[in-house]
Amino acid sequence: MSARLDPRRIQGRFTSPLHDERVAAVLGIALGVTFTVCFFTGLWSHLVQSPPSWFSRPPRPAGLYRVTQGVHVATGLATIPLLLAKLWVVYPKLFAWPPFRSVAVAVERVALLPLIGGGLFLVGTGLANINLWYPWPFSFRTAHYWAAWITIGALIIHVGAKWSSTRNALSRDSKPHDADSPGARADRRAFLGTIGAASVLITLTTVGQTVGPLRRLAMLAPRRPDTGPQGFPINRTARTAGVLVAAQGHKYRLIVTGAVARELSLTRDELAALPQHETTLPIACVEGWSASPRWRGVQVRELLARAGVVGGAAVRVESLQRRRAYRTSMLEPAETRDPDTLLALEVDAEPLHIDHGYPVRLIGPNRPGVLQTKWVTRLVVL
Amino acid sequence: VTRPHLEPERHGVGFWIAVAIGGGVIVFGIRGAVHAARATGPTDFFAWVIAADLLHDLVIAPVVCAAGFVLTRLLPERWRTPVRSGLIISALVVIVGWTGLRGYGRDRVPDNPTVQPLDYRTALLTVLAVVWIAVVLWGLLRMRASRRVRRG
Repeated sequence: MSARLDPRRIQGRFTSPLHDERVAAVLGIALGVTFTVCFFTGLWSHLVQSPPSWFSRPPRPAGLYRVTQGVHVATGLATIPLLLAKLWVVYPKLFAWPPFRSVAVAVERVALLPLIGGGLFLVGTGLANINLWYPWPFSFRTAHYWAAWITIGALIIHVGAKWSSTRNALSRDSKPHDADSPGARADRRAFLGTIGAASVLITLTTVGQTVGPLRRLAMLAPRRPDTGPQGFPINRTARTAGVLVAAQGHKYRLIVTGAVARELSLTRDELAALPQHETTLPIACVEGWSASPRWRGVQVRELLARAGVVGGAAVRVESLQRRRAYRTSMLEPAETRDPDTLLALEVDAEPLHIDHGYPVRLIGPNRPGVLQTKWVTRLVVL
Repeated sequence: VTRPHLEPERHGVGFWIAVAIGGGVIVFGIRGAVHAARATGPTDFFAWVIAADLLHDLVIAPVVCAAGFVLTRLLPERWRTPVRSGLIISALVVIVGWTGLRGYGRDRVPDNPTVQPLDYRTALLTVLAVVWIAVVLWGLLRMRASRRVRRG
């Protein structure tokens, strides 16, 4: 075997002073923070989208989901520079020889496969998803969710493996190694500064999709909260949902049924004649954009009272849409009791645009956008 | 032989506790992905995770190393760091803007103009222009500083 390809020598051939324990440690800590933030905000999003029996989605604070999901997407985007930089810094370790010096090293290295594969998978699928681009055959949400568990498990192992070496690398009295010239130190500072600047730049050019004051800077954002009919975006048009005819036809009725004392069947005009309630609530999408228009419509609790339902009740809200995952959504008792849970007829003083759910849509506090069901035709009290 | 910049690890009891906890979480995640088979398509799912690994190790990292190799040989020393920073930031910004630029996503929902509604070509060119103006200014400053040092 020629000396060039001698596996014992490959690692030593990476001569850049950036392949350094301290740079790896700084980036590692930053990634530990961003992955943890994304994991918990993502877990939260999963919980509120599909609450298990032991969890009840709190309707207050009304803007909580907007914040947690905005943080999830912004943190994920800011992670891209950190992750790629870290992988490059430690790339020589891939060629460590012998590959497994001990059982512990073998375990540590095997756990890198789910850590690196999972980490790249999460930021990659997340980035594609906020663009509504799905170049894979599986369900984004399910795959992203389970990949997060796998990655965070691998991260726990990795933190266990690196805890002491990270502390050593960053402690003041860590000995500078042989290649540590002032130039090398400046080089490392410049590199870390560059990665930080890239994260800041990516954040500044995208986070305006949910942070209003930075809207004009959001030139790379896949969605802009000020675009679309009536000044905010849509995820599914009436045409795509196949509701153009049913939503605008004279046969439209809102039915309140299920465990009720008397069933209601109301036209849009009859709904408009009921007491109207106004509120400003965010529509906060899982993809990380949000807008906060003013809604006007009938309180769900008012409708339930007219149907003879007293106190809070769980309600299944059904759309005119025929199929697809988000045709229906659930309202929990705490949500139906909330005065701001509305069947909205108007937004910003205009009748809802058909793409925003005309004749009526559900809007409630602290609900992910996909659960703000559009083109509502039935409330089924459970 | 120079000491490697990246030291090997020492593994204590804490590591094995982390392996037990983290390993349990990984198993939980893999089980979940397999059980949700209809939605995740576990073969595809695991193939994509491993492919992400391989894509980095076999394509992205070697390309970056090759770029670094060329860069250190082509550029005068004073310009290396600014140009390297410029290239890193440019690549990362392009990664984030690429889907918008290509209209992936928008082409899936042609009747929804609120998906990728912006002019991403102009946006990317603007951001890159700002980045490279900063690179040139930084490089010029470094040149001036080194001239001063030489003059004494």
